[in-house]
Amino acid sequence: MEISFSRLDEDIARFTLKDATPAFANTFRRTMIGEVPTLAIEDVMIYDNNSALFDEILSHRLGLIPIKTDLSEYVRRSECSCGGEGCSSCQAIFTLSVEGPCMVHSGDLIPADPKATTVSTDIPVVKLGKDQKVVLEARAELNDGSEHAKWQSTLACGYKAYPVITIDDNCDACGNCVEECPRNVLKIGKKSVEIADGKLEDCSMCRLCEKACMASGIGDKPAISVKPDTERFIFVVESDGSLPVKDIMTSAFGIIKNKADSLVDVLNEISGAI
Amino acid sequence: MAGYKCARCKQKVEIDLNVRCPYCGHRILFKERGAGIKHLKAR
Repeated sequence: MEISFSRLDEDIARFTLKDATPAFANTFRRTMIGEVPTLAIEDVMIYDNNSALFDEILSHRLGLIPIKTDLSEYVRRSECSCGGEGCSSCQAIFTLSVEGPCMVHSGDLIPADPKATTVSTDIPVVKLGKDQKVVLEARAELNDGSEHAKWQSTLACGYKAYPVITIDDNCDACGNCVEECPRNVLKIGKKSVEIADGKLEDCSMCRLCEKACMASGIGDKPAISVKPDTERFIFVVESDGSLPVKDIMTSAFGIIKNKADSLVDVLNEISGAI
Repeated sequence: MAGYKCARCKQKVEIDLNVRCPYCGHRILFKERGAGIKHLKAR
């Protein structure tokens, strides 16, 4: 298996996964979405709230704010040595005390741990009028997206099979397929149609080019064919900022490996190998 | 019983049969927040 990156930033990555099965590609996608843990606000203690929003809506909005997560600093509450009572290893505490008139933003949440801050300071939480105020304490904890979407570390995370475009020798470069292609993947060459430079990965495999070729009436089969490569996948992974994309991928691979190892152990136990 | 506050004269009001401020006759009353801390799940 091989990964080659065409883009790798803090928040977004685009890469090609080679020599993998569709099952593995989907496992990788699902693990990145649902198994990589992040911090999100889970408990809210509201001391005062006379804003226009109900306490329940306010706490729900707080839960959806992404929080920068250091996976080496925090553990899940269920796995913590405190026994789930809550300590500095399994929860991050925030306080919010704002009086109107103003807009309360995510940056108004004051963290007890300076590393566990909100990803953005500009997320609007609630608008306060004159004499309105919100005073609360929020506790963030580590969990994963399979429990609730607020713990998802990825926003857009998907893949597609790598397109394989083959152009036969009987192509007469009529240009019908070039005009029909919605993503400008094709261009007219000297003798036949060619793939435009660096455009192959843009192909969505809509096969409009094949239909256009058939409509031109060269023969029984189209001179151009588009097929998916079932061993190569183009991934796009976008982080919400709580973790860098590289950490999300590394963590997902680790989780898959641990699960595979535990499956082998169980199978060995069943077969009596141990 | 939950306390209420008149929206016009800001007096504390108790509701029995009529929803009306006994001091100014205004019929818009705000329910006052309890003194305790409200513990909620952020879901």
